[in-house]
Amino acid sequence: MNPQETNIQGILAEYLNSRNPSNAPTGHLDQDTLAAFTEGTLTELQATPAVSHLVDCSYCRHITAELVRLDLEFAEEPVPARTRDAEPARISEVLSGVLAKIFGTSENAVFAHEDKDKKDEKDKDQIDEKKD
Amino acid sequence: MDDALLKESAPRITAIYEQCKADQPNFGVSEECFAASLQKTITKYVIGASSEPVTPQQINDFLDSVQAGDLFMSLACANGNERAWWEFDQQHRSYMERVARHLAKTEADAQEVIDTVYVELYGTRVVDGERISKFSTYSGRGSIRGWLRTVIWHSLVDLHRAGHDELSLDEMTETIGEGATHASFAEQPSDGEAEMVETITRERYRNATVSAIANAFASLEDHEKLLLLYYHVENLKLREIARLVENEASPLRGWFQRKTQTRDAGGRTHESTVMRWLEKSYARVLELFKSGLIKVHSFTETEIDQCVEIATQDLTAGNLFAGLKSRQI
Repeated sequence: MNPQETNIQGILAEYLNSRNPSNAPTGHLDQDTLAAFTEGTLTELQATPAVSHLVDCSYCRHITAELVRLDLEFAEEPVPARTRDAEPARISEVLSGVLAKIFGTSENAVFAHEDKDKKDEKDKDQIDEKKD
Repeated sequence: MDDALLKESAPRITAIYEQCKADQPNFGVSEECFAASLQKTITKYVIGASSEPVTPQQINDFLDSVQAGDLFMSLACANGNERAWWEFDQQHRSYMERVARHLAKTEADAQEVIDTVYVELYGTRVVDGERISKFSTYSGRGSIRGWLRTVIWHSLVDLHRAGHDELSLDEMTETIGEGATHASFAEQPSDGEAEMVETITRERYRNATVSAIANAFASLEDHEKLLLLYYHVENLKLREIARLVENEASPLRGWFQRKTQTRDAGGRTHESTVMRWLEKSYARVLELFKSGLIKVHSFTETEIDQCVEIATQDLTAGNLFAGLKSRQI
């Protein structure tokens, strides 16, 4: 680069860090678009509005920058494969535990709606048995 | 027209579905559900994103790029399929935990985020009798891991915001322009006539420089602007930008290659390539900057040199763009 280009680089950098875009968008890109953009998997058709948005939206641009850093960091250090469980754990059990921790519910409460029908049937059977 | 396009894509969608079903016969995803998800994405992001009529070829290109296996799993999980959830948990939980630990300040925060994300993925909100799973927002346009990274990132921001009510979203995620408004002026008050003339001249050059650089940047194409913003504002390193365009089909990569009239041999984009793109962009900014000063202010080459020289001196003092943050450019 010639000296003038070097100088303009510094001036430009300062300008970019001080500018306040006049057409800053009010909305943000959805997570699906942010993720796909970061991976470079959007087609030109889809990427064109996304790139325009990122130029003016510091919030979304910052997220994509963070995601790129994260992606690179993890690409350099492969994630070890998880030891496969012999038997599938019921996901409802996993989620019930998680929800109970967050909301302080009992382990079965969250999935009560799923088990409700079965419970109703059981109660009905018990009533019928008593009747008999 | 849209219906006809979607109809035309049906055989391709069926073929993708059959492949996914053969790979994961126990996920219980119906063809209707799979097709509806893809058609929704095509309508929103392919047809909806274009001001021009979309061709069947563009739809097929999109379908070829879809991460069909990941989409199939996410639909099965959204439907509450146990086997799919087990596969998801086996394949991605470790990765999610690592991402969360990397981003969160404490192990407790990381665990809380993972728990929250799992709950979101399953979905606790019921609308019209249907549970709304976060998985239903995944389109298959990127990998599921890339999508999960984004979901975790947002979840951590939410967690952080919950503890810092007073901060805005922007304050939380960026520090753009920080300090610019507090920059001190380096020049001393002048008392002589000569000094006053010099001050006025400097101010004239300074104002011309600020507007010329703003106009030069505004005249760039969006992909050039984004590259410069990533490098100078987000402080992405060359290798990080190279990672962003590593995918050979990346539109950013394609745009720069077309702009610089170069074609690489495929594969990895090297840092030196990104540096070349940046240098091209600087050269373009300089060209636009100069032509702007000539056109708008009728400056001579000597005056342009003076503008650059004064601006470079001002940069050291931090007063070139002071106050710009409060103005809209």
